[in-house]
This record gives sequence, structure tokens and C-alpha cells, in this order.
Amino acid sequence: MAGFLSPERTGRSVLGIAWYAQGFFALLRYLATHLSALTVRPTRLVLFKQIYFTGIEALGAVSIIAVLTGIVITTQITSLVGVNATLTAKIMLWVVVRELGPLLTAIVIIARSSSAAASELAGMKIRGELDSLRQMGIEPMDYLIVPRIAGITLSVMAVTFYFQMLAIIAGIGFTALTHGIPFAGTLGSVVSLLTLGEVAASFFKTLVFGLVVSITSCYYGLRAPATTTAIPQAATAAVVRNLLTVFLLDGVITYAVFL
Amino acid sequence: MSEVLALEEVGVGPVRGLSLALSSGQTARLTIASHDAKSALFALLAGHRTPEAGRVRLFGEELYALPDDARVPLYRRAGFVPEQGGLISNLKAWENLLLPAAFHQGLNADAVEARVVALWREADPDGADLRETMGKLPDRLTAFERRMVALLRALLPQPDLLVYDFLSSGLDAGSAARLYALTQRFHGEKPGRASVYLCADDAASAKLPADVTLRLG
Repeated sequence: MAGFLSPERTGRSVLGIAWYAQGFFALLRYLATHLSALTVRPTRLVLFKQIYFTGIEALGAVSIIAVLTGIVITTQITSLVGVNATLTAKIMLWVVVRELGPLLTAIVIIARSSSAAASELAGMKIRGELDSLRQMGIEPMDYLIVPRIAGITLSVMAVTFYFQMLAIIAGIGFTALTHGIPFAGTLGSVVSLLTLGEVAASFFKTLVFGLVVSITSCYYGLRAPATTTAIPQAATAAVVRNLLTVFLLDGVITYAVFL
Repeated sequence: MSEVLALEEVGVGPVRGLSLALSSGQTARLTIASHDAKSALFALLAGHRTPEAGRVRLFGEELYALPDDARVPLYRRAGFVPEQGGLISNLKAWENLLLPAAFHQGLNADAVEARVVALWREADPDGADLRETMGKLPDRLTAFERRMVALLRALLPQPDLLVYDFLSSGLDAGSAARLYALTQRFHGEKPGRASVYLCADDAASAKLPADVTLRLG
């Protein structure tokens, strides 16, 4: 216990968080000031590939999780309060749109793409490919980082929306089949309960999650030292930091917006 | 004739006190016995390794006085052919070949395909199916194919300076001679283009005509 709480270990952790925060905001600032890099065709191709790998290829896993989540939630609601279309719609909205949609989607994308992006960038750095790009007159940040951050962020936002829609439809569909609650009526209740503020809060949360996942992955890939053992370390560090940050921010945003 | 590359009493790794002045239109041949010295010198020219002593000027700019991001535009005027190819691992051979030309000049595959095929066949008349080769990732290419991709990648944006790093290394005499013949033609294709060859001490390299020759231990 003393070792776990030693001043040296604590100090190293605090410094690590400070470096991470500094690197995160430096990359965020770079993205904001270099979005024009996406107008160059080869960079756009990197963006499209990233959207394909992070967004489209994740749809299978996300679909299964969304359907099961929707079914589990509506089953629990029905078992707790009985057949009640309005309450089912309200709870589905609160749980899926506000919380589970953004959170579960972020977790799936962290598991699939965060480690992949971090290890790919670390490998490229170790093999001297960033230097190769510079000697071709191509700024590696513009060609590798800007499209990855943009691609992962857009994918997180789009896949979250898909998750939310699918989970709600699957959940309502399942209760319609098993308990005879009218599908159209419950879906109508969900839509009528959905406010602009609700949509904006969900959009904001997914934007933040997307930026966190993409920037953190790139940060750990870029800061890897030039040894091959650094590749798995970069991947692990990116996944762990992403999970911690996403859960922390989820709590902060929920508290700030919904309380 | 304007200055393209100048080294003044440069010290980098095992290389000490190296001076060289290369003007537009000239060719330099640097015969280097030590692989470490060659790697250090190539890294210095490519902007990856700061010299411990001396000064490097590229196209009249003090290279290592510039920050990293300010060096990048300068390199748009240069083409490098590293010994190992220096290819991007997640791009297919064809994407690697086209990258700088597409990035800086907006060229697409259709615009360069005929030229690439003709040059490749000239260097490798009995080679494998080029369509298949172009679809491979770099780690599936042979040493010759990697070097050919790097060579054509450097050439397509029509640079003012070409730097070749042990171009004939590991190749049979016929392939080496054909590659050198191609590079000599590239040299004359654009008025004022300068070429730098970092060479091993071998027969094929020794035949290269050059305005400036240096021998490093």
C-alpha cells in the first residue's frame, strides 16, 4: 500500500496527466488551425479510410450491442413498472440517448480503433516513416494526424446516432412483440419527448467523446519512443487513458447538463 | 548557376570536416566505405539529423537554422531515394509512388500511369506483372521493387535536386546499370537539376560521370 501511494509514484502519475493534457490541447489546437489539410486529395483518402475502419467496420458489433441493450432495458422497465408506453419511452430516452448510446459506442470504438491508431502511428514513427514524409515535403501532422482525428470523431458521432436509433427501435419492437405494447405509439412517445436540448446535449457528448478518443490515440502513438516494445505499450496506454477520460467526462457532462 | 546544396566543414556521426558545393545542373558522387557514415550523411541531407559541426545550406537556406515545419516546404524541391525505399507501410506500392506528386501537384494515377509503366519496364524488362506489384504493400516487395517505387516516387514531382542513397546496393550488375542509366536521364530532363549519389565503392558506381567527386572513409 505504501508503495502504491509513494510520493514518487504519485508525482509520476500527476506529471503524466499534465503531459497528456498539454499534448491533448496542443493536438486539438493543431486540428482547429489545420482543417484545411483535408482539402488535399491524399489527406482526404486517409480521412475516408479512417471513417471506413472506425465507423463502417464497427457497425456489426455496434448493431448487436445496440439491439441487446434496447431489449434488456425495455424488459427491465416492463418487469419493474408493467406495461406503460409513456414511461417506457421516457426511460428509453433517458438511458439510451443520454447515457448508454454515447458511452457504449465510445467503448466499442476505443476497443477497436484506439489501440489500432496508436500502434499504427507508433510503428510508423519507429520505422522512420514520419521522417520519410517530411523529406517528401509532406507535414506528417497534416497527412497522418488531422484526417485521423477528424475521421474518428465523425465516426463516433455517426455510430452513436445509429446506436441510439437502433437500440430504441429494437427495445420498443421487442416489447411490442412480447407484451403487445403498440410499436408506433411508443415510438411516437419517444419522438414527442425528444427535445432540442436533449439532442444538443447528446450531440455535444458524442463530439467530446470523439475528440477524446481520436486525440488520445494519436497522442500515445506519436509520443512512443523509437523501440519496437513501445508499440504495444502505446496501444495499451491509449486504451486505458481513453476509458478513464471518457467515463470521467461522461460524469462531468451529465452532471453539468442534466442536473 | 545557382547554389543547390552546400556543406561547410560538416561533422555528423563518423563524418568529419566534410565540405561540398553543388550548383544547379551539377552531379556529385560521394563514395563512402562506411555504412554508418553513409547513413549519417543521408539523414543529414534529408533533414533528420542535426550536424554536430558546420553548416548545411539547401537551395540557399540555412537548413538546420529553420524549425522542422519550415524545412518541409524546402523539401518539395528535392527527391530522395533511400536505400531501403523509405516507403509508407500502410500504402500500396502504387499509392506510395504517387503520394508526393498527388499531394503537391494534384496528379492522379491516369496522368502518370503510362510514364511509370514505361520507366519500370526499362529498368526491369523481364519483371513480374506490374499490376500485381503495384497492388502490394511495401513489406511484400523485393528490394529492387522497393527501390524502383522510391525512385519513381522521387522523380514524378520533377524536383530540382535528386539524392540517391546506395542505389545499386544489393542489386545484380545489370539491374544496377539500368537504374544508373535511368537516373542519368532524369538528371538531364529538367534544366538545372542537380543530383547527389551516395555510393558504395563498387564498379557500377565508379562509372558514374560526376562534376564533384569525394571519397569518405
